[in-house]
Amino acid sequence: MGSLSFENAQVPIRDEVAAALPRVWAGIGQPGTWLTAEQRVAIAAEARNAVGCALCEERKAALSPYAVDGEHDHLGALPDNWTDVVHRIISDPGRLMEQWYRQATASGLSEREYVELVGVVVSVVAVDTFCRGIDIAPPAFPDASPGNPTPETPDALDRELAWVPTLDPAVDGPLQREFYPGGIAAHIRRALTSVPATARSFWDMAFPLYLSGPEMRDFGTEFRAITHAQIELVAGRVSALNQCVY
Amino acid sequence: MALLRASGEHSGDDFDLSAVLGEKGDDSGIPNAGILIEFAEAAVGHDPARLKAARQAVLDTMGGAALADAAGVAALFNAIDRVADATGIPLEPEKAEMTEGLRSQLGIDQFGVVAEA
Repeated sequence: MGSLSFENAQVPIRDEVAAALPRVWAGIGQPGTWLTAEQRVAIAAEARNAVGCALCEERKAALSPYAVDGEHDHLGALPDNWTDVVHRIISDPGRLMEQWYRQATASGLSEREYVELVGVVVSVVAVDTFCRGIDIAPPAFPDASPGNPTPETPDALDRELAWVPTLDPAVDGPLQREFYPGGIAAHIRRALTSVPATARSFWDMAFPLYLSGPEMRDFGTEFRAITHAQIELVAGRVSALNQCVY
Repeated sequence: MALLRASGEHSGDDFDLSAVLGEKGDDSGIPNAGILIEFAEAAVGHDPARLKAARQAVLDTMGGAALADAAGVAALFNAIDRVADATGIPLEPEKAEMTEGLRSQLGIDQFGVVAEA
């Protein structure tokens, strides 16, 4: 079974990071909300495999990535449309479009499966980028555990904000209190909330890797070995490379 | 970007925010900016030799804990950018208004527009 450990890292890893990333990684091998463990592990493997895909590179170089047809370099464990979704999120996220999302979720991939898929893909992106950054090998994937998904659909979903439905912050409920503490519902906090377990897992790794909300705005205190300005410089440079407007 | 500007305002520094575009890092006013920009680019790229050199530069200059934290930020933003783009969440109106001039000045508003052409 593939697991993630930082015991052999050559640099000091903060305890909260050393705890969170292995937890998120192991979770990929567990049945999800809408996806089986087998599907989750297959999505994770395809996300890593997408790096270097010839079709993706051709699309990345094209004026429009939607004008180039072909077949991805793929592992064969996912339906073709799921493979295309994974590859596009990996290779050219800044040029994803709502029309593409609508087509993807009208062809055998439900909206809630899509959100969970996004959560798995970005977990692989975060873990692999971190491992490369500190010079340890990206971990093997966990074995898929048996069992069925545990469906959960929040009662109050807003369909106006984004392409995907999001938990409505105007409704007072336990999930809102969990994901929007203090009533603050930044759009990025809302993005994955239609699948609460996916949102929970994402923020479980996000805060330790970056900063919590209060830490982010407390410029009088440095919480990391690099300053607020240095943190935001790295964050801004990565987002610029990803052509991310948000 | 807004947080980088706010950080500078808090400390009284006038940071050159165009550093996030990979330009003038060492003139940005942010300590070790050039080294961190090179590391950020290498961490999300796929050139092992470049990453090895960038990693070593951070280690030699800022130490192991700084390398781990810089890697953590690069990792998180490489992921969270994809969350934002794959779910189609818009920028909050107040943030868009607050950063309008800055985004225009740095060309950030042009990100992704080719796909819509």
